[in-house]
Amino acid sequence: MRYVKHYGTWGYILHRLSGLALTGYILIHIYLVSGLHNRPAWQSEMEIFRHPLLVVLEWCLFSVVVYHALNGLRIFIIDYFNGARYQKQLLSAVLVLSVILFAAMGAVMFI
Amino acid sequence: MIQVKVKVYRFNPENDQQKPRFETYTVEADPKDKVLDLLHRIKWEQDGTLAFRRSCAHGICGSCAMKINGANMLACEANLKNFKDPTNIIVEPLQSLPIIKDLVVDLKDFFKKYEIVKPYLINKTPPPTKERFQSPEDRQLIDEATWCIQCASCSTSCPSNWKNPNFLGPAALLKSYRYNFDSRDEGTAERIHVLDTNDGVWRCHTIFNCVEACPKDINITWHISQLKKKLVSREY
Ligand code: SF4
Ligand code: FES
Repeated sequence: MRYVKHYGTWGYILHRLSGLALTGYILIHIYLVSGLHNRPAWQSEMEIFRHPLLVVLEWCLFSVVVYHALNGLRIFIIDYFNGARYQKQLLSAVLVLSVILFAAMGAVMFI
Repeated sequence: MIQVKVKVYRFNPENDQQKPRFETYTVEADPKDKVLDLLHRIKWEQDGTLAFRRSCAHGICGSCAMKINGANMLACEANLKNFKDPTNIIVEPLQSLPIIKDLVVDLKDFFKKYEIVKPYLINKTPPPTKERFQSPEDRQLIDEATWCIQCASCSTSCPSNWKNPNFLGPAALLKSYRYNFDSRDEGTAERIHVLDTNDGVWRCHTIFNCVEACPKDINITWHISQLKKKLVSREY
């Protein structure tokens, strides 16, 4: 039983997936830093995170944060204002803004 | 004229030898035909055992809602030429409701949810000699909500409803709006507690599948958002 996925449906699916990803991240994050009780331990751990691959991952994490935050704002506008009347335009705005902020963060991080 | 391959979901729970399956029929059709015309032709000319509901054939009664090419709509309004490929049509029953036969689903649960939201005027003051007056502006507030033909397309397109069958669903919530926002009604205090639960308005995750499915172009999610707003702005 498959059902067509409309534009708004994708907004919802992305919101749920990004939410799950953030939950996973925060648990890993807490686990990784919970054992670091002094400055050298902290610094040597941070050294690992300078690895280029992990920096790129961090950048991706930012995109997830941005989408989830902006779409959260969209849901708020839908629920508390008249956003339900223009949810598709709002979703487009969320996506465009996410891409712009993602690119801007890329510039800040890598240039 | 075009040749249309119609893949139809078939299931008869009374015959437990047969599992649910798809049967494909080839039907000659005009591109201006509706999917309901195809189903008629199949039933009348090829296979009389096919079961589906319909009555008005003009988008008024709401009985012919089904899933066509993956999305809920009225078969009598589903114009072949509006499909990307009008020669391949897949017809399934509304998702998540028990199947009585083929495309006919059991709507008992769907209408039970209407009862729960008390879809009638509650007003304890004795009626005046003529009708209860309502200004055009107040009527406007509930206008869109009165367009509903209770076809169940919305509720059976809603992922929150698939996951949790106890969710009141868009159709019942729309009806709840229709009475709670009626200027002549005094029943909000009696109705509001069923909305303010996990299975009430808060299970609406603004996915908008219902709005896409509604054949009457009702923005159901907007009406649910007004109910949400009413709930959070209550004063005690
Ligand atoms: S709101 Fe629209 S989709 Fe839902 S039952 Fe009414 S007419 Fe059908
Ligand atoms: S047959 Fe009445 S709405 Fe389609």
